[in-house]
Amino acid sequence: MLFAAFWKRNLGFFKLAISTNLEYRLNFVIDALLQPTVTSGIEMLLWWAVFKSVGSTAVAGFTREYYLSYALWAAFMSRVTTSWMYESRMVEEIDSGTINSLLVRPLSFYEYYFSQLMGYKFITTFFSFLIPLILVLNFNLPTQFDRLPLALLLAFYYLILIHSISFLVSTMAFFLTKVSSLTTAKNLFIWVLTGELVPTDLMPPWLQNIMFNLPFPSGAFIPVGYITGRIGIDAVQRGFMNVTVSLVLVNILAAYCWKKGLKSYVGTGA
Amino acid sequence: MLALAPRIIRLKKYASLYKAFFRASFIADLEFRSNFLIRILTDIFWYAAQITTFEVLFLHTDKIGDWNQAQTRVFLGVLFVIDAIYMIVFSENLDRMSEKVRKGDMDLILSKPVESQFIISLQKVNTALFGNLILGLIWFFWSLSHLPEFSSWRLLWLIVMVPCGVSVVYALRFSFSALAVIFAKSENIQFLWFQLYKLATRPDSIYFPWLKFILLTILPIGMIASVPARVLIDPPNIWFPLWAVFLAPMLIYLSHRFWNFCLKYYSSASS
Repeated sequence: MLFAAFWKRNLGFFKLAISTNLEYRLNFVIDALLQPTVTSGIEMLLWWAVFKSVGSTAVAGFTREYYLSYALWAAFMSRVTTSWMYESRMVEEIDSGTINSLLVRPLSFYEYYFSQLMGYKFITTFFSFLIPLILVLNFNLPTQFDRLPLALLLAFYYLILIHSISFLVSTMAFFLTKVSSLTTAKNLFIWVLTGELVPTDLMPPWLQNIMFNLPFPSGAFIPVGYITGRIGIDAVQRGFMNVTVSLVLVNILAAYCWKKGLKSYVGTGA
Repeated sequence: MLALAPRIIRLKKYASLYKAFFRASFIADLEFRSNFLIRILTDIFWYAAQITTFEVLFLHTDKIGDWNQAQTRVFLGVLFVIDAIYMIVFSENLDRMSEKVRKGDMDLILSKPVESQFIISLQKVNTALFGNLILGLIWFFWSLSHLPEFSSWRLLWLIVMVPCGVSVVYALRFSFSALAVIFAKSENIQFLWFQLYKLATRPDSIYFPWLKFILLTILPIGMIASVPARVLIDPPNIWFPLWAVFLAPMLIYLSHRFWNFCLKYYSSASS
């Protein structure tokens, strides 16, 4: 009975996010189609130029087509695994005191935004997916489609971690006056470590060692490397493991900060 | 001479207004000290991302586009300096324009006896980011010191090229932000700007000739950092500075016209 109620309300939040995002169609088209097209286009141009300058057919054992495919899928995966909008809303909710209306309802702050984030990611991923798909098929870029479900599963699993980090950051709004800049700094830090800009395996070995022990390559490098054939299943397993450990740690810390924050919260703006 | 007098008085009025904006912003920034430090840290991550991208690529190639590693570092230095100046002076104002329109704060701005574009573009100065300008300058001069056969006289070009680069980025960003007046919910149009800005964070020589032409003329994002860097690094070519000097004021003028056009669609949100 309890689970049925939990499922029903979260499905409601999920659907709410889909309809809200589809409400402003121009906004949606830019978000789901135009932005990933521009990003992947720029990164592909960079690799094009690199290969033109190198004069060789391969860099670190992979041809130009592999890098073009990487740039394309990395832009797509990064869009799946990034959360700016909902984190800002969570922070704003605590900052402004509008969280009061959520606190008195029989639901948790975490699940309310988690289900909405998933709804938003579901609908944008569905449409954004068309871009790499069309380009990969059109230009015959190397992609192992049979590996795609597992790669997407890892990306969405990593998204849970990203949401947990967002939850942790939002709890800071209980203690600090301005948290928006913390969000930007955190997102940029994570972005550098995901491997979206350059494949992680091109980096110096000492840096690779550090990065592979963190969960962040699961946001771009591992899923994209897997579907483009750069890495094997063992790296994906390691990605799942790193994300799981991080999920536990982040959620323990977030739960502690949430409880402490609620105790100090005075309902400002209510 | 008599016709000049009112203009000088007007300029003085705007200068004193800007001084007041600066003072108020500085006091506000000092109030939130942790925020002050995080803002600096944020840009350090952004610099690190740009540097890492090129440094890693240069582990595997000697040249990207027309430039080698030392030249690309100078390009990044120019980019960091121009970006830092833009961030200090304009970014916070333009990034929040959409919010101001939605919350009705625009009404107050439009009712003031000052040019609305002036207030909306310059009201908040991000004084925390002076630290980033210093970091950008350190990287720029360090990269120049590693450039073989560089004549210091060429630095004089920056007196012209840096203001032109900042003007171009301002005019383009302002025009994007102004769309918030027409489109009520325009967050993603604003995010699109950040994607387009990525084009400026790469040397223009990596682009196909037709795209490079567009980026230097129709959508002159290449004028932000690539052209100022070219003036320093490449053999002298007078056409680049001339084009920059023509384009920068032209774009600011066009952004002003566009702003007035957008204002025709403005409907107050606060009433």
